[in-house]
Amino acid sequence: MPVSGVIITCAEGCSAEVSSRISSINGVEVHGILPDGQIVAVVEADTVDGEVELVAGLYEVEGIQAVRLAYHNFEDIAH
Amino acid sequence: MGGLSRRDFLKASAAAAAFAAAGASAAASLRPKDASASEGDIRWGKAPCRFCGTGCGVLIGVRDGRIVATKGDPQAPVNKGLNCIKGYFLSKILYGTDRLTKPLIRKGDTMVEASWDEAMTLIAGKFKESIDKHGPDSVAMYGSGQWTVFEGYAASKLFKGGIGTNNVEPNARLCMASSVTGFMSTFGGDEPMGCFDDLDLGDTFFLWGANMAECHPVLFSRMIDNRLRNPQVKIIDFATRYTRTSQMADQYVKFNPQTDLALLNAIAHVIIRDKLYDEQFIKDHVVFKRGKENIGYGLEDKFKFADEPKLIGFDEYKAFLKPYTPEYVAKLSSVPAKTIVELAHLYADKSRKVNSLWTMGFNQHTRGTWVNNLAYNVHLLTSKICKPGENPMSLTGQPSACGTTREVGTFTHRLPADMVVMNPEHREKAARIWGIDPKKIPAKPTYNATEMFRALDRGDIKVVWIQVTNPFQSLPNLSRYRKGARKGDGRFIVVSDIYPTRSTELADVILPSACWIEKEGMFGNAERRTQHWFKQIDPPGEARNDLWQTIELAKRLGYGSLFPYTYPEKEIWEEYRKFGEGQGKDLAPYESYTKARGLCWPVVNGKETTYRYVEGFDPYVKAGEGIKFYKNKADHYKAVVWARPYEPAPEVPDRHYPFWLCTGRVLEHWHTGTMTGRVPEIMRANPSAVCEMHPVDAGRLGIKDHQKVKITSRRGTIILPVNLNGRGKAEKGNIFVAFFDEGKLINELCLDAYCPISGEPDYKKCAVKIEKA
Ligand code: SF4
Repeated sequence: MPVSGVIITCAEGCSAEVSSRISSINGVEVHGILPDGQIVAVVEADTVDGEVELVAGLYEVEGIQAVRLAYHNFEDIAH
Repeated sequence: MGGLSRRDFLKASAAAAAFAAAGASAAASLRPKDASASEGDIRWGKAPCRFCGTGCGVLIGVRDGRIVATKGDPQAPVNKGLNCIKGYFLSKILYGTDRLTKPLIRKGDTMVEASWDEAMTLIAGKFKESIDKHGPDSVAMYGSGQWTVFEGYAASKLFKGGIGTNNVEPNARLCMASSVTGFMSTFGGDEPMGCFDDLDLGDTFFLWGANMAECHPVLFSRMIDNRLRNPQVKIIDFATRYTRTSQMADQYVKFNPQTDLALLNAIAHVIIRDKLYDEQFIKDHVVFKRGKENIGYGLEDKFKFADEPKLIGFDEYKAFLKPYTPEYVAKLSSVPAKTIVELAHLYADKSRKVNSLWTMGFNQHTRGTWVNNLAYNVHLLTSKICKPGENPMSLTGQPSACGTTREVGTFTHRLPADMVVMNPEHREKAARIWGIDPKKIPAKPTYNATEMFRALDRGDIKVVWIQVTNPFQSLPNLSRYRKGARKGDGRFIVVSDIYPTRSTELADVILPSACWIEKEGMFGNAERRTQHWFKQIDPPGEARNDLWQTIELAKRLGYGSLFPYTYPEKEIWEEYRKFGEGQGKDLAPYESYTKARGLCWPVVNGKETTYRYVEGFDPYVKAGEGIKFYKNKADHYKAVVWARPYEPAPEVPDRHYPFWLCTGRVLEHWHTGTMTGRVPEIMRANPSAVCEMHPVDAGRLGIKDHQKVKITSRRGTIILPVNLNGRGKAEKGNIFVAFFDEGKLINELCLDAYCPISGEPDYKKCAVKIEKA
């Protein structure tokens, strides 16, 4: 099961709201909100397909300006 | 690892990497201390990202010969530990199930597996036969901005210095050529003066025809981060289509296609009229020129053009600008006169650090060179240039459009380090470094990319080898060139690639290539940063490095002595960097790059140059000189402000074809989709091309969202579903279609008109009609 660490940039003042909104998404785990408002989250799904769908979905969440990928591990999926 | 499962460790590692990349030192305590221990068996190596010209640093984790993880490289100054969504696909591009693993030779309608020796014998035989019968200009190499520096260099050396033909072109002709001619004509030297730090340091960003949020997401994020820190920051998006970039910009300025030429002249007009220019800077650093006008569109075969620049005075330039009043240009462009005046004042605001950024909207333009010139004009008039945080910057789409095609010079007219084949001293110098007779390098350029495939269609070129690119999907007016390729009569096409593409299907021989970290390489990104990576895994099956393939051809044609290397990558680098030494194009020794996260040239005495032409940053500018455009000796080290008029596009919407068609990229796909299209998850997120259309236009034609429409230009027809409310939104009278979809060749509709100076085609403007399918 692949797992990735992402940083989510939010519009000013939206971080708390965005954080609670995305915490309810299955497969997205918020790990912290940084002082500058960026959110650190871990995304996991059964497949990379699933991860990408989750991240592409985040782009549609109001208040989210960008999602960037810091780390991606997919060691247990056969390519 | 007391109690925690492997899964917990991986999640902790993922979170830790994200915290670290966000610069969250305060969050260090949040990082489970065992996180890195869990990765003990993964070997990490660095590489620049395989995709775009941003050149983000990536760390690749390998275990048992396979990639198992990737990270944004925290030490990489470009992206500081963060990749864009395409980072998810970096590893998987290598592992598509249909990877090419054996050479294939055409036998009638089928491709038959062959040994490398058989394939190379056949290829060398065809080259020899064609050269003997029709001369060296009957064979060609078509490469790309995804070539490593070594691959591009070897190809250029073999063709120009060995075979004796200038038939070498890269696909960068289709994306960057106007940027090159823009830089060369304005500054006498290619590539930007600034660097990506401008995105953090500037406070005013004018984007022109650049959907950065989707096409350069990491750079766009740097700008957005800057805005979060600094409420002064303003982003203005000049565009012909509303995108995710427009949505996030502070101001979206829509304009009619082609009128960017007029708008930039109107901005300059206001700057002059309202005396907003920097008189001293102009006196010290600028000359004015005017070239030929009504210069044509390259629509006929063998089109030729040579500009005839004449020096003019500041007053003549002012007179030239007279007609470009905000009111006149408002009519032409549909941008209100008031907005033009306001934005001209914003450009010239002395309290602001102003940047312009552009990509294909400017470059893929039948007046691409001009529009690049005009953007520089505004920066030169206001002296918003050569300062940290304020510069014009042309962005690139391919990972080594700069490093390989521009710097190595794999265009028909170019040699390494901005030299050209037309100049006898340049040929001399190249011949000296290559150890050949200068007469070997022909003094005349042959074909730009479009002309190269026209020549193949006509039969003037018989044998063409295509490496790391997909012209039979990406050329404009595609049908002509696809048909031309299979006309027979001695035509022979070799394609080296990693997957089957719309180009391999037309090949006589397909060669399986190694990709990215399956070989050693160097790329150069859009900020002059050269980055190196080592081979980290083996290529699959019998796939081989393109560098090896080119050198193998050389040996079989009797030019093996041009490549006497035992460690080709390293020795090519040391040979290649002789070209730039002392020319303001200095590169560091090979070893420096194996450690550094890239270095921006010129690299002098081990020090990179972030800002060019500027005292204190650029070692070529002496104390007391301030700013010196030292590459432009011909104009006494000054930059050129060009009087370039607005001229219309060659094909404009009319009664029969009432819509503008614009093509381009989307977030999830890269170029012709041969790598991103391999990956099932991207195909799911954005599986096939759609026709973006304005709801009012659709309503008028009775077309509903997602309904199929027939799009027709004078060159072809395509059927696509309409998208009225997608991420990108077409303006009235315009439609947009992405070009990644190999099942829908939108480029069959595009016109193969090009900028007469740069030879770059315009994929952004042609006329089409829309009907219900
Ligand atoms: S922005 Fe470009 S270079 Fe950076 S990760 Fe994305 S595709 Fe790769």
